[in-house]
Amino acid sequence: MAQVMAQRFTGTPVKRAEDPRILTGRGRYVDDVTFPGMVHAAFVRSPLAHARVVSVDTSAAKAAPGVLAVYTGPEMEALIEPGPYGMAAMMNIWPPAHSLLATDKVRLVGDLVALVVAETRYLAEDAAELVEVEYDPLPAVMTAAQALDPESPLIFEDLGSNVLAGPKVTTYGDVDRVFARADRVVRATISQHRHQNVPMETRGAVVDYRKDSGEVEIWSANQGVALVATVLSARLGIPREKVRARAADVGGSFGLKIGAQREEVAIAAASRDLGRPVKWIEDRHEHLMAAGHAREETLEVEAAVTNDGDILGLKVGIVVDAGAYPGLGGMVTNIIEGMVPGPYKIDALSFSSTSVVTNKATYVAYRGPWAAETFVRERLVDLVARELGKDPLEIRRRNLARREDNRQMVTGRSLAGITAYESLEEVLGRIDLPAFRARQETARNEGRYLGFGVATYIEPAPGTRANGPLGAEQMRMELAEDGTVLVYTAQMPHGQSHETTLAQVVADNMGVPFEGVRILYGDSAVSPPGLTGGSRSATMAGGAALTTARLLRDKVLDVAAHLLEASRDDLRIENGSVLVAGVPARAMTLAEVVGALRQPGRLPEDVDTELKVENVYDGGTGGWSGGTHCAIVEVDLETGLVRIERYLVVEDCGEVINPAIVDGQIRGGVAQGIGAVLLERSAYDAEGNYLSSTFMDYLLPTSMEIPSIEVVHLEPVPLDPVVNFRGVGEGGMICTPAAVCNAIEDALAPFGVRVLEQHLPPARILELVGVIEPE
Amino acid sequence: MSDVVEVSFTVNGVARSVSVEPRKTLADVLREDLGLTGTHLGCEHGVCGACTVLVNGSSARSCLMLGVQAHGAEITTIEGLSVDGELNTLQQAMWESHGFQCGFCTPGFLMQITALLAEEPNPTEAQVREVLSGNLCRCTGYQTIVEGALRAAASARSATATVRGSDLAPKEPA
Amino acid sequence: MKLPPFAYFAPSTLEETLALLREHGDESKLLAGGQSLVPLLALRLARPSVLVDLGHVAGLDHLAAGEGSVTIGAMVTERRAERSEVVGAQLPLLAEAMPLIGHQAIRNRGTVGGSIAHADPSAELPAVAVALEAEMVAESAQRGRRTIPAESFFQGFFTTALEPDEVLVELRLPAGESRTGVAFEEAARRHGDFAMVGAAVVLRVESDRIADARIALAGVADTPLRRPEAERALRGEEVTAEAFEDAATAAARDLSPPSDLHGTAAYRRHLARVLVRRALVRAAQRLGVSP
Repeated sequence: MAQVMAQRFTGTPVKRAEDPRILTGRGRYVDDVTFPGMVHAAFVRSPLAHARVVSVDTSAAKAAPGVLAVYTGPEMEALIEPGPYGMAAMMNIWPPAHSLLATDKVRLVGDLVALVVAETRYLAEDAAELVEVEYDPLPAVMTAAQALDPESPLIFEDLGSNVLAGPKVTTYGDVDRVFARADRVVRATISQHRHQNVPMETRGAVVDYRKDSGEVEIWSANQGVALVATVLSARLGIPREKVRARAADVGGSFGLKIGAQREEVAIAAASRDLGRPVKWIEDRHEHLMAAGHAREETLEVEAAVTNDGDILGLKVGIVVDAGAYPGLGGMVTNIIEGMVPGPYKIDALSFSSTSVVTNKATYVAYRGPWAAETFVRERLVDLVARELGKDPLEIRRRNLARREDNRQMVTGRSLAGITAYESLEEVLGRIDLPAFRARQETARNEGRYLGFGVATYIEPAPGTRANGPLGAEQMRMELAEDGTVLVYTAQMPHGQSHETTLAQVVADNMGVPFEGVRILYGDSAVSPPGLTGGSRSATMAGGAALTTARLLRDKVLDVAAHLLEASRDDLRIENGSVLVAGVPARAMTLAEVVGALRQPGRLPEDVDTELKVENVYDGGTGGWSGGTHCAIVEVDLETGLVRIERYLVVEDCGEVINPAIVDGQIRGGVAQGIGAVLLERSAYDAEGNYLSSTFMDYLLPTSMEIPSIEVVHLEPVPLDPVVNFRGVGEGGMICTPAAVCNAIEDALAPFGVRVLEQHLPPARILELVGVIEPE
Repeated sequence: MSDVVEVSFTVNGVARSVSVEPRKTLADVLREDLGLTGTHLGCEHGVCGACTVLVNGSSARSCLMLGVQAHGAEITTIEGLSVDGELNTLQQAMWESHGFQCGFCTPGFLMQITALLAEEPNPTEAQVREVLSGNLCRCTGYQTIVEGALRAAASARSATATVRGSDLAPKEPA
Repeated sequence: MKLPPFAYFAPSTLEETLALLREHGDESKLLAGGQSLVPLLALRLARPSVLVDLGHVAGLDHLAAGEGSVTIGAMVTERRAERSEVVGAQLPLLAEAMPLIGHQAIRNRGTVGGSIAHADPSAELPAVAVALEAEMVAESAQRGRRTIPAESFFQGFFTTALEPDEVLVELRLPAGESRTGVAFEEAARRHGDFAMVGAAVVLRVESDRIADARIALAGVADTPLRRPEAERALRGEEVTAEAFEDAATAAARDLSPPSDLHGTAAYRRHLARVLVRRALVRAAQRLGVSP
């Protein structure tokens, strides 16, 4: 059913444009893409964490049924140009140099050793088992502490140590003075554990290299086709114009699927070498083991506090375990550093950071990659409260910056427009805390342990103009012959529903029905360059859609004024037609406008009849997203199992384009945060064997663990005269682990437990309480 | 390489015959030999539920079944849900509930809910959550999927007279 | 993650099946519901060269109450057993454990015999079989039928008393007696996961005293484990919280459970005590006697 005219779509839960295909099984994910003559790839991966590759014998594999080719490391190097892949390519991190497939050594369990291409994936896996690799094992570097030991074996010889970045120390404000002024210093070492994105669709690519033209077409699961094309062009040594990167539906990513990664480049090299289309779909085992892991950081923090509960300053030292290959792990500390004061009135900060390489999967971006800042700060606030014998809420109220304070973070970021304090008050208005405390007391007397926790965060989504340029979002828009508005976005949606949200904004600002807008994406030949990530799309693509639609509307009105022989000021576009004020009979549909332009002589020569607009949106004033989360939990102290009884989110993401989609983003992030605390861990043993390589070991939360999540939106504070949509993709995940851990610590308060780690599986809960001995 | 075997079954009401290697899973047979790519593979070891289809009306992981095991069976996939190109009651309800985001887990959830509602047209939220706990979604936090299932049940009840047989899974044979 | 190659046979009679096993024995695997075997194949952890599919074999899907016992054919699906009125009425312990096995789509395909023969020490059905003192009926071409008591059936991790040429034909489970309460308790990381520890309890109370008790644990050893010392401690006792606590402590004593990602050995030992006590309390409550 058409959603009718003069309706304002922005701000309403318009049903998704994606759903008619998603719900009928007609989506097109990378594994659904086929080419004539396509063959299939499987990788031989390292069973050892750290070893020299002595020899690789591919003769038996090459002789196996259906095998077209087997590539070793040196053979692959001959097909490509060395350089960075994926996220490292985006950030241009190189050196440390490394080969695509192992030439000299393997650096993690799951590292790439050889590539088999065969007629089917079944046959490719059969042959992969026949590749005989001789390894000379090296001691594995499995912890950051080991990596920092100068005696540890080098993972990259040319790095000279296992330190990838740092140590770097920066101070903001007068740290010494602030700490001298403090009544006491609260110290803690707080860690986040290694866990991972785990989109339901794994990575994958289909590459078709055409020998006749030298052109290559890649379909892959990614967050932005432009970077895929750029990396592929560089690594294959093919001009960028000859690389066409595409994607249609992408089954989730959460930061993982950036650019062309090592596997995708290898597939492309094989396709060029063989002159056949090659498909590789990562299986779940490969994915969990080697697609990339996130979040392994240890932070030593000191807070200078007064006995009244003022937090004056912080000293933070962070060590990031960046895994085996360079990527975000060497850079993420910069964001953490800038964000760690959060929405608090903190006058001084000393921040030191080090990133190390280890024989584990590479550190990748995962929904709010810098979230350590929120976890450590929101835990620390509760720890300060416990040390002072005060209520954590009181500490938050005292220390949160208010909007009227017009403050900057001590790290220099403007806090214009933040609503952190309001979100905390809104939470407290919705939870009857005295009643909860009474219930908690009664329950404790019955041997049941309830806990209440809150956490507050802000997120630069995209941040404010005062903090520097917000980047730029390109968009192209044109009218098709039938009057449909074609929108070429740089976004590469992978669950964010941009076909819906951008169409809502365009429909409203163009004056067309929702169904009269088509959002086109995922083709480097026509899509503007860009990326979906960093919670940027609401402001940047939403803003681009709004401003570009208005430009196109103005162009249409210019030509329509001639066609309708009316004053431009009397014209408006409504429901896909240009209307003349007071003269309903003289309306023209947009299709008729386009048709008229095709007729020579209908318009004066000086009128621009090209109903196309190219636009760059700079983000306007920008602004913060943020909010406060509240968790109420019950901990079973006999089994250690934690149940989330209630979860409330009070959120400010500016003007909401589609509340159902926004709430879905928030709830999904909260679910991932709950999973991180209670279930998910990417675990290695001391030798570097990966222990979480199946879904029986890496535990995603299910409908039984995730409660209904209440979401409340604050009235937005407009900063920009036109665009006040703000991002919401990451906030749920950023804030949840702290809220849940704070609630668990509250539940365990009778036992004096301090929660200094993020992962709290049932055995660990009982260890913390002292019911069982740690192993 | 093992020999191929002739397998005949009914898929979405249509009799089909394929020659497949016995080791090929039903999921791969559906996707590769029959072009029914609506069924997705999320883990290939029977945990995520994305590949769930109906086998003789009961939900089953198509990654844990060999194609040859489906010989003689009636298979329903997500492509078999809509009626004459129209979304069925469940699909409509999921659309209205904003059930899914990236859509990759969608086929499994829809098929499992179809089986549930055929057996229990009036489930409680707790029942829905229990039955759906065998299907993983990484995007939604499940709430909208649960709502969609309950909405489908409610709209099927309020429009019983107009519900078509194909809206619901075939009954399990006695 | 694709299955390795194998030869596939789909016999339609038990005789054909036994003949195939006689011929292929060691290098063959029986395919029942496939819910455990297929993942092992996909991960290439199992590599049989011959797969014998029991799906078309007649005479393996009976489920019937007999004299004091219920007979369940090996190919009866877990879901059918779960929904069976006979099971509900006569095998309350099995009925209680059934919904804890995996998820609905798994139970729709997974079979009772398959789970028993797979002998995962964390699985629910082996522990139930041990607690109920079930009998397994196996048949081979050369030696005919034999009956194996549950306790000697499970011999180690994924290892049973079944010979390579034998088929598990059916289970015989003693039907519930009067004045007997049962309970199955487990702790899993998530609903539907393999239990970190499971406890199956059968408790007979006569004249306010415990006449008999049987306790079996899942997840604490390489087989499901009876706890005779705890059972002895209960016999003759009154139904009291102390008696149950003591028995639970005895049940957990000297256990050497595995340590893994989901729980340490110390944690599993602790869980064993908690779950046995909880199961005893619930079993007693079912008899209307609260400790």
